[in-house]
Amino acid sequence: MSTVDNLSDDERLGLLQGTLEVLILRSLKLESNHAYGISQFLQQQSDLEFLVDNGSLYPALQRLLQRKWIAGQWKTSPNGRRARYYSLTPAGRKELLRATSKWERFAVAMAKILAPEG
Amino acid sequence: MQQWWSKIERALARRRNLASELEQEIDAHLEFLIEENLKRGMMPDEARSAARREFGNTAVVQERGYQSWQFPGFESLLQDIRYALRGIMKAPGFPLLVILTLAVGIGANTAIFSFVNAVLLRPLPYPSADRLAILWSGLGYSGRAPFSSFEVFHLRQRSTQFEQIAGIWVTNGALPGDGPAEQVKVADVTSNFLPLLCAQPELGRFFGPDDDLSSAPSTIILTHGVWARRFGSDPSIVGRSIRYGNHRSLVVGVLPADFRLVFPDDASVPLNVEVFESIPVGPWRADGPAFLHVIGRLRNRATLATAQSEMNSAAAQINKLGGRASLDNFSVSVFHFQADTVREVRPTLLCLFAGVGLVLLIGCANIANLLMARARRRLRETTIRAALGASRFRLARQFLTESLLLGVLGGGAALATGYAAIHAILAARPPSFANFDRVPLDLRVLVFTFGIALGISILFGLAPVFSVRSIDLTRDLKESMRQSAGSHRFSLRSPLKSWTSALVSAEVALAFVLLTSTGLLMRTFINILHADPGFRAGHVFTFRVSVPGYAPLRSIQQKLAALPGVQSASAISHLPLDDAGNWYDYYYREGASPAEQNSVMADHRSTLPGYFVAIGATLLEGRDFTDADDARHQHVAIIDDVLARQLWPGQSPIGHKINLSDSPQGFYQFQRDWAIIVGVVHHVQYHSLTAIVRPQIYVPYPLAPRPSMSFVLRTSGAEAGLGTAVRSTIDSVSKDIPTTQVEPMQLLVDRARSESRFASLLATLLSVIALVLATSGIYGVLSYSVAQRTTEIGIRMAIGAPRAQVLRMILADGFAWILPGLLSGFLLCLAVTPLLAHLLFGVQPTNLANYAVMLTGVLIVSAFAAFLPARRAMKIDPLTALRYE
Repeated sequence: MSTVDNLSDDERLGLLQGTLEVLILRSLKLESNHAYGISQFLQQQSDLEFLVDNGSLYPALQRLLQRKWIAGQWKTSPNGRRARYYSLTPAGRKELLRATSKWERFAVAMAKILAPEG
Repeated sequence: MQQWWSKIERALARRRNLASELEQEIDAHLEFLIEENLKRGMMPDEARSAARREFGNTAVVQERGYQSWQFPGFESLLQDIRYALRGIMKAPGFPLLVILTLAVGIGANTAIFSFVNAVLLRPLPYPSADRLAILWSGLGYSGRAPFSSFEVFHLRQRSTQFEQIAGIWVTNGALPGDGPAEQVKVADVTSNFLPLLCAQPELGRFFGPDDDLSSAPSTIILTHGVWARRFGSDPSIVGRSIRYGNHRSLVVGVLPADFRLVFPDDASVPLNVEVFESIPVGPWRADGPAFLHVIGRLRNRATLATAQSEMNSAAAQINKLGGRASLDNFSVSVFHFQADTVREVRPTLLCLFAGVGLVLLIGCANIANLLMARARRRLRETTIRAALGASRFRLARQFLTESLLLGVLGGGAALATGYAAIHAILAARPPSFANFDRVPLDLRVLVFTFGIALGISILFGLAPVFSVRSIDLTRDLKESMRQSAGSHRFSLRSPLKSWTSALVSAEVALAFVLLTSTGLLMRTFINILHADPGFRAGHVFTFRVSVPGYAPLRSIQQKLAALPGVQSASAISHLPLDDAGNWYDYYYREGASPAEQNSVMADHRSTLPGYFVAIGATLLEGRDFTDADDARHQHVAIIDDVLARQLWPGQSPIGHKINLSDSPQGFYQFQRDWAIIVGVVHHVQYHSLTAIVRPQIYVPYPLAPRPSMSFVLRTSGAEAGLGTAVRSTIDSVSKDIPTTQVEPMQLLVDRARSESRFASLLATLLSVIALVLATSGIYGVLSYSVAQRTTEIGIRMAIGAPRAQVLRMILADGFAWILPGLLSGFLLCLAVTPLLAHLLFGVQPTNLANYAVMLTGVLIVSAFAAFLPARRAMKIDPLTALRYE
């Protein structure tokens, strides 16, 4: 959907179930950010491999809010716009740690199996 | 749970807040995108629309973001309910019919169940009601008799199983306090009686052992009612000495407003006792009169069986002590108090309960047919929804929601109907139900009503679900398209049809059972209307007085007889069909063996001369009492023909001697006495219009003086102002004679008929409902079948079937259900109607005329119900019918 894409939507990677939440938590690890910023961050960090659909991003943010892993706060952005900034809560930080180690193990295991033999 | 709660809380409190926050957030997001686009050099408009494209569908994002805060299950349930409600509003005919059927069917059950609950299931309103027992004495052939003070004393002495044994005797007395002299029901109770039935008095105290001492002052306890009515709820009443009859009494307590005397009907302990006095119990007179109705509270570990065996041995010991008239076959029966109290009404109630159950079954059969027809009609909708991807579970839930909604609405309507019915029944209830004046809609009734309503709706709600289970999309879509255009998918052999016909047959059968039973009850009522009570109630008026003495009593009698319009006036101790106590005792003829001497009892009555003329009883032989019949002369008695036939079959009893109970020494100073029989009178129905309970012995008042008598006035028909005339007549003798209101004797007769009227009225009502439901079942199913077969009938007629043949065909369809229904109904009747036997009078359960009438009735009504759709079928225009195809 992005007009600046040089990859078509089909070539991009779809997100696995449950990954988006972890990625959002990761994006907030260093600093708080708004929804637009989060989607920008995810696209850039994945070298535009991940397409972040707003239809998934917003419900994911709501779910994280419900679980009290992130908190939202209205602030003014550096360029003078009011936006809702999300930041990690202590619980969210713990969850990020837990999820990161889980995903790392998962990725290593996947890589081991998928690696060419020999 | 807490998670849920916080979810609900947030959902409710932040719902609106959340929506606007999301909207603002999405706006901000768009602004960022626009800014980005502007930086890339787009024109503002272009930047805006590009940003919108890039963002995607804002509505969807918003909805999905929003959704995560809601309860998807709950939301779609609401959706289902909304959908179901819309369906009801769009086509209210069907749901209204279902709700109405449920309201009537379940409402009738709610009402009767409320009575079953209040009377049979709920414990009596007494502390530890379950451990209360009632004791009846038996001598010879008579059970269920009261005890003498001597017997109660000795039973108490020998009892280990009972915590308390207490007695009561109800009589008439003066209303205490200053003000107009009025007669009320007074109970003499042993000092431990009230604490058995009442946790604590509203004011003051109960009687104590000290009140029984002969040196103690006269004490009384008032009911809440008389305290409020006569003393304006004066809180300082306790401890005050008030006028009571011709002496003064100390008020020691007031009973709470909810105190009720609920006793078996034949204990002569009416509900409306207003004053309690205490009477001592002692071993003074072994041959004293038996008058005490006795209850007891079992000890914690005692059972009815252990109490009974203890009472058996106690009775055997009392026999040895020698008691009433050399009694030697005294026995005691112990019954559960509540079970004994409801002994009379229980069968009536259970019969009614069965009746409303049948009505409900018929209603259910109707609803089942309606729902099946509808499920078929909705096959297309169901199929399309399944084709569009609705899961079977989702569809099932939808159907279930719909029928549960109907169930809840029906249950609510049933509760309202039931509530109204309870009040109607309470207003029309017969005296045997008089003790049960509180019929609460308690939790058990609510559970019962909604349990049935929801049970039925779940059962029937699942029926279409099962039909969905077997959906074959291609076939059913095709079928349902055709069906909606009026095809005849269901031939006579289809399983649906056989279900439907079985249901209709069942309806006819059940309705027939109800009608036959009703016929029997109505016949009974008619028989009771025509039953000869042994007296003529028309133009007879009665009232009770406290007797000021024999001479003033006779003077009142003479003055009353002289009133204009009064043909004759006399008085008796116990009016026929009245509930005010009773006096009955043993009797035997001269020369009877000791075994015969205490075997049978007769009602004893004390009368003034002229009683038989005044009440309209028939003197068959001999003479009435005269002024000369007093204690100083030869003691005389008049007996009824029942007793005459019993003791002197085939011969005149006049001049024979009979041993009876009388009290020439004074009020209640009972003794055994020999009297010469001077007259025989036709039996008068004293206890009911249908049963001869005991034979009767009349003695002249001087042989059995009573503190209170009932006057009987036969008038010529000019009755206006009689009450005032009576009052001023009595005032002219003394201003201080308590009386009751003057009432027509017909009132007592009507009251005695009311049980049968009540039963036949309710049964008629139920039968009419059943018949209407069954007929509408026949009509509905046949109409549906005609509508389904429109095309077929059109074709038949197009190829030359005469109209009469079409009519016959549809009628034959109808009778193919009706006739098996009638047959099975008849068989059911053979099994069921004998259960009514004890409610019937003068008619056998297997009465052929009744069967014939009801059979014809059901045939005519159901033929009519079948004829209407058949005629519609006959009038089908082949051209129109075929155009649909």
